[in-house]
Amino acid sequence: MTAVDAMECKLLCELVQARFGLSFDGMREEILLSRLRPRLAALRLHSLMDYYHYLRCHPDREREYASLARQLTNNETYFFREPHHFEIIARHIVNERRESLRSRPLRVLSAGCSSGEEPYSLAIALHDAGLELRGIRWEIDACDLNPDRLARAREAVYDEGSLRACAEADRVRCFEARDGRWSLRERYRRHVRYFEANLAVAETVGWPPYDAVLCRNMLIYFDEAGFTRTVRLLSRSLAPGGYLLLGHSESLIDRSDEFTPTWLDGAMIYRKLSAAA
Amino acid sequence: MPTVGSTPAELAAAVEAASGAEREALILAALEHSAPLVRDLAVRLAARHVEPRVLGTLVADGANATRRNGAISALEWQGPYAVPYLLEQLASPDPELVMFSLQVLTRIGDPSATAGVASLVRHPDLNVAQAAIEALGRFRSPDAVPALLARLDGNLWLQLAAVTALGEIGDPSAVGPLLGLVPDSLVAEQAVRALQRIAAPESLGPLLDLLARVAERPLRDAILEAAGVVLDFHPDPEPVALAFGRALAEDGAAGELAAFLAGVLQETEAAPAVEPAVQAAAGVTLAARLAPLYPLVLRRAGDPAMPWVDLLWRQHARPSREELAALLAHADADVRRGALHAAAFQPDDLPLVRARLHDPDASVRAAACRALGLAGDDASAEALVARLDARDAGERAAAAGAVGRLGGAALDRLAPFLVPGAPADATLAALEALRAAGEGPFERELLALARAASPEVRTAALRALAPRAGSRIDVALVRALGDRDEGVQVEALELLVGRGGERTAATLIALLSAADSLRFRVIRALGRLRVARAAPKLEALYAEAPLHERVEIVRALTAIAAPGALEFLRVRLRAEEEEVRRVAAFGLADLAGPDELPLILRLAQDRDWALRTEAARGLGRLALAEGRAALLTLARDVEPVVARTARLALSQLSDGSGLAA
Repeated sequence: MTAVDAMECKLLCELVQARFGLSFDGMREEILLSRLRPRLAALRLHSLMDYYHYLRCHPDREREYASLARQLTNNETYFFREPHHFEIIARHIVNERRESLRSRPLRVLSAGCSSGEEPYSLAIALHDAGLELRGIRWEIDACDLNPDRLARAREAVYDEGSLRACAEADRVRCFEARDGRWSLRERYRRHVRYFEANLAVAETVGWPPYDAVLCRNMLIYFDEAGFTRTVRLLSRSLAPGGYLLLGHSESLIDRSDEFTPTWLDGAMIYRKLSAAA
Repeated sequence: MPTVGSTPAELAAAVEAASGAEREALILAALEHSAPLVRDLAVRLAARHVEPRVLGTLVADGANATRRNGAISALEWQGPYAVPYLLEQLASPDPELVMFSLQVLTRIGDPSATAGVASLVRHPDLNVAQAAIEALGRFRSPDAVPALLARLDGNLWLQLAAVTALGEIGDPSAVGPLLGLVPDSLVAEQAVRALQRIAAPESLGPLLDLLARVAERPLRDAILEAAGVVLDFHPDPEPVALAFGRALAEDGAAGELAAFLAGVLQETEAAPAVEPAVQAAAGVTLAARLAPLYPLVLRRAGDPAMPWVDLLWRQHARPSREELAALLAHADADVRRGALHAAAFQPDDLPLVRARLHDPDASVRAAACRALGLAGDDASAEALVARLDARDAGERAAAAGAVGRLGGAALDRLAPFLVPGAPADATLAALEALRAAGEGPFERELLALARAASPEVRTAALRALAPRAGSRIDVALVRALGDRDEGVQVEALELLVGRGGERTAATLIALLSAADSLRFRVIRALGRLRVARAAPKLEALYAEAPLHERVEIVRALTAIAAPGALEFLRVRLRAEEEEVRRVAAFGLADLAGPDELPLILRLAQDRDWALRTEAARGLGRLALAEGRAALLTLARDVEPVVARTARLALSQLSDGSGLAA
């Protein structure tokens, strides 16, 4: 990497961090650059420095920031990824709160839901756990920064890649084949609500308080300040004693005093301390 | 004394307000701060403001591990500046201090430390000896090879470290001793990895022999990858590989090796971890002419993620006519397509290829089109043109490329696709064929299509026109700058820039008067074309232009480098807008002469890291001894990009003193 390349990278990393709270420094620079290249091609620009100046100075920069946000949050996901989290919610968290759930629905937030695979996987798990038969209602809120992804989530029609971790029986039970794609059956869609939110700058999120928040494989992209701000925001969104479930490579240990780590079914999840606001 | 503060910003402010011993004390105190981010900044500030000797006292202080770790990191950040001090510390009677110094030297990676470190490979403390060996690997200096070869026996850990270091250095004199460790030693696999890194041609034969003889899977995998890399770098591997193939057949070992290679080639995961093994297996298969395995290699040909398949095939495979016919008629469409994609066909082979134009699989037909185009098979012209109207987009694109390559009479057959009412996809394919051809007939039709209703067709027609000479083409492109579709405008501008020339320059200069959205791109185009006579107009436009155009004007004037550009840039360094100052500094780093040294030295002290980076770049370009002190300071900058740029610049100094502080 030449001196100019290194400077271009840093300028763009700083800009993305300031605008979206997402950190792509160090090893993740390559990820950022690979996601910027389609934008350079679309704008017929020739270098990262061209693009940096475009974002800083061009009259159309706000429109471009919106396109960039879509590009940066274009994270691939699939049904039943890290499925133990859905089991933990369906079994442990529901059982722990079953008294209060007689008078109100279980509320779960899927933060950074992308194209809906995560909240729908949870909906399937809750449905399979027979909550409705036990008289327990549930609501899943799901948010993402990327409006295109949310539109896909609401459409709930998926390609083969999204179903790669689906057993054949689940595929038949949960989806209808349609023109080579897979449409999620209506009964799994009806309890999921979607809304657009940028967790890096949001003051509140969804309709708190939630019993559990899934925020998996997103915090790794935040810088330290963005991480702290987002964890506080999620903490505010949780009911006292509510649970935050992170991706396997993410941790709150030594990074937040609002949660206590808890082992459940071989997974580390984080319980909001009752005293936390 | 000011307090450290609780955030990086507070620490930075406190350090800026302090000086001398007070500043040093503040920074050293911050090395123990409870917040990791404050500690991180303190390390970088220590690298910038605290002398290595002072940091060394913290390293020697075993009572405070936090400060010791911070001091070690700061010494590492100092890079070349800390090297002389660290070399002195290697003579310390305290093995722990020697270890820390070695670790920092290793991370700095400055080869000038080789001699000092090599003397420690026989240190009585085995940890020190091992760290010294690892450091020598990192320095990559061939001068260290004799000392490392002398450590290939004895203690296992030292042996392992020496083998790894020899691989990192990559000197071929280590090949014989390393081969001697394979397969019967505890460091055999590591030795093979080292041989892979060295990639010396003389290791190919022995590695192939080992590949046939060794059955133990992890070692065999390593040997395969090493053989693949050596094969890749070998200037003439054919005699060695063929001799290996013949020996295999004579020994009756071909079947066993083929089964092993087939297993590797059938790895379905395209993960980065698997690809080197698959690539190596393909290389060995083709070079040793293991024909039964060719289909397994060809299934991967044409995959843009694996361009090496085609290269390996052309480099090593020499299939007979019968083998080629069998591959082109293989039951698996992926193999047929791969064969068409990878092979370079001779005239006698072309009937086999033409037959694939009727293949039931569209991707095979597309590959056949491509192959016939590459072979220049005029006899296929009619069949190829007919495929411009194919249903499959890939087949249409491949046919267009092939017709374009054929050129000449083949292009005359495109007439039916260039008239109003022709299917749009076929018209676009025909236009692409004409673009690929460069020159050719149908100028009148193309000029008409440049005014078609569809912006895609207008764009494609302009692309087909652009490679041709003539004023009517210029007029069409200039007219398209006013197209109702912005995408067509931008394309026309790019095509004009590609044509260059006086007429284009004049048009672009004239367009500077129109304050529309295209002007931003016109300014950039003038910079790319380095139109010197545009400089006065660009300078005149600057005052009234909006910010995004002002930035591009500064960049364009830098690219043009007209007389007076330096004065223009000097003024822009005082601009209110950060972006203008930054592009002006970029220009100065590119254009400055020795007279601008004082100005660059001032930039080296600017608060903006981007300006300091440009100062480092400019000092490196000037390569004046007077810039060395400033570069040594910048090489310890708190911003890694500045430090890295300054270190690169130091290495460019003409007196050769760059890295020796």
